[in-house]
Amino acid sequence: MTVCDDSAGHCITCSDEAAPMRVVELLDGSLARCVDDDDAVAQVMVDLVDGVEPGDTVLVHAGVALVRLDQEALVS
Amino acid sequence: MRYVDEYRDAELGRALAAEILSTVEPGRHYKVMEVCGGHTHTIYKYGVDDLLPESVELVHGPGCPVCVIPMGRVDDAIAVAMQDGVIFTCFGDMMRVPGGEGTLLDAKASGADIRMVYSPLDALRIARENPEREVVFFAVGFETTAPSTALTLMRAKAEGMENFTVFCNHVTIVPPLKALLESPDLRLDGFVGPGHVATVVGARPFEFIPSQYGRPIVVSGFEPLDVLQGVHMILRQLAEGRCEVENQYKRVVPYDGNPQALRVLEEVFTLRPHFEWRGLGFIAHSGLALSEAYADFDTEVRFDVPGVRVADPKACQCGEVLKGVIKPWECKVFGTACTPERPIGTCMVSSEGACAAYYNFGRFAREKVAVS
Repeated sequence: MTVCDDSAGHCITCSDEAAPMRVVELLDGSLARCVDDDDAVAQVMVDLVDGVEPGDTVLVHAGVALVRLDQEALVS
Repeated sequence: MRYVDEYRDAELGRALAAEILSTVEPGRHYKVMEVCGGHTHTIYKYGVDDLLPESVELVHGPGCPVCVIPMGRVDDAIAVAMQDGVIFTCFGDMMRVPGGEGTLLDAKASGADIRMVYSPLDALRIARENPEREVVFFAVGFETTAPSTALTLMRAKAEGMENFTVFCNHVTIVPPLKALLESPDLRLDGFVGPGHVATVVGARPFEFIPSQYGRPIVVSGFEPLDVLQGVHMILRQLAEGRCEVENQYKRVVPYDGNPQALRVLEEVFTLRPHFEWRGLGFIAHSGLALSEAYADFDTEVRFDVPGVRVADPKACQCGEVLKGVIKPWECKVFGTACTPERPIGTCMVSSEGACAAYYNFGRFAREKVAVS
């Protein structure tokens, strides 16, 4: 995952941007190993989203999952 | 990519542009502010403004957290970073923001131990790995970013960390919006609301915009179709004589936000009486400090922070850009003395700053192609 890289189109850490990431594995201490679409891996805090499970896609900002993305809700 | 590609469909974009064209009232000029820097970036990266009629003007708001940090706070950060035994950590963009005495990158070149991190959790890891050093994290950002700092501090407290502090510069979005709405030199017709701030605080805190100031706001996502649809929803409200908070970004934003996130913010932070914003001056209750319970982790308590105040450089017009009074290319130093490589003003630093967005995507002047 890149930071402040214009070619990626956004900076996930410094501003009000957030990136979808897939949960791969739950770790101790309300952490999860997540991957983005480019297979970059990050450790993410999942305290703020109830019942996160491997396979879920979450919106991650500055190392925190803010919300779970729901496939059904996307049809809008 | 799932959740992304479907919101970049060119055909749907053209269809939305046609609907927008049929919604505008002939002869009327519309000024719509996108509050968030993420929206500004999307608009210029994808050319969203080229799909809008000439009569719809997008005004760029103060929602880039890097851009609103005053120079004095950067000088304070450098003063802390230069102290013996300190490892100073921050997000990448902040390293290039000029203070009165240079940037954090300059301080790093002078020998200060300054490290870029992706998340405050990385800073906490550095503190664990360096128990003999003081590790400071330079926290910036709106309500979207503050939960990350809060959760990291809660972990630091639970672990009994004694060498980790946070230099807190978190800000909140509602007070500057009120300040802008009170500003006599700016007349706006509506707002594209900040989608990711709203994942935390919800859409409800923006109800004052229609109820007290009679302007519509549509909380919107960050893909090009999201922004176009957000603008269309604002124009439709105006055409139908409605004025309310609407949520275009329902796939992500619950109307009442994320209650767990709001709880951690409540526990870890307290509102400052005043906080200085670049270009906007001091705004009451617009900045966050660490609460009493987290005072042991407050850089401003543990270190001697000078509290520097620095006037913005005379040539720089970031203030007017942040208030949407001028376009970036109207600034005297835009693209000449001030570029992303050598920024004078903060709006040229972050990829989400309005000036950087214009510069990086070739908008050196307002040249629009009429949409037919």
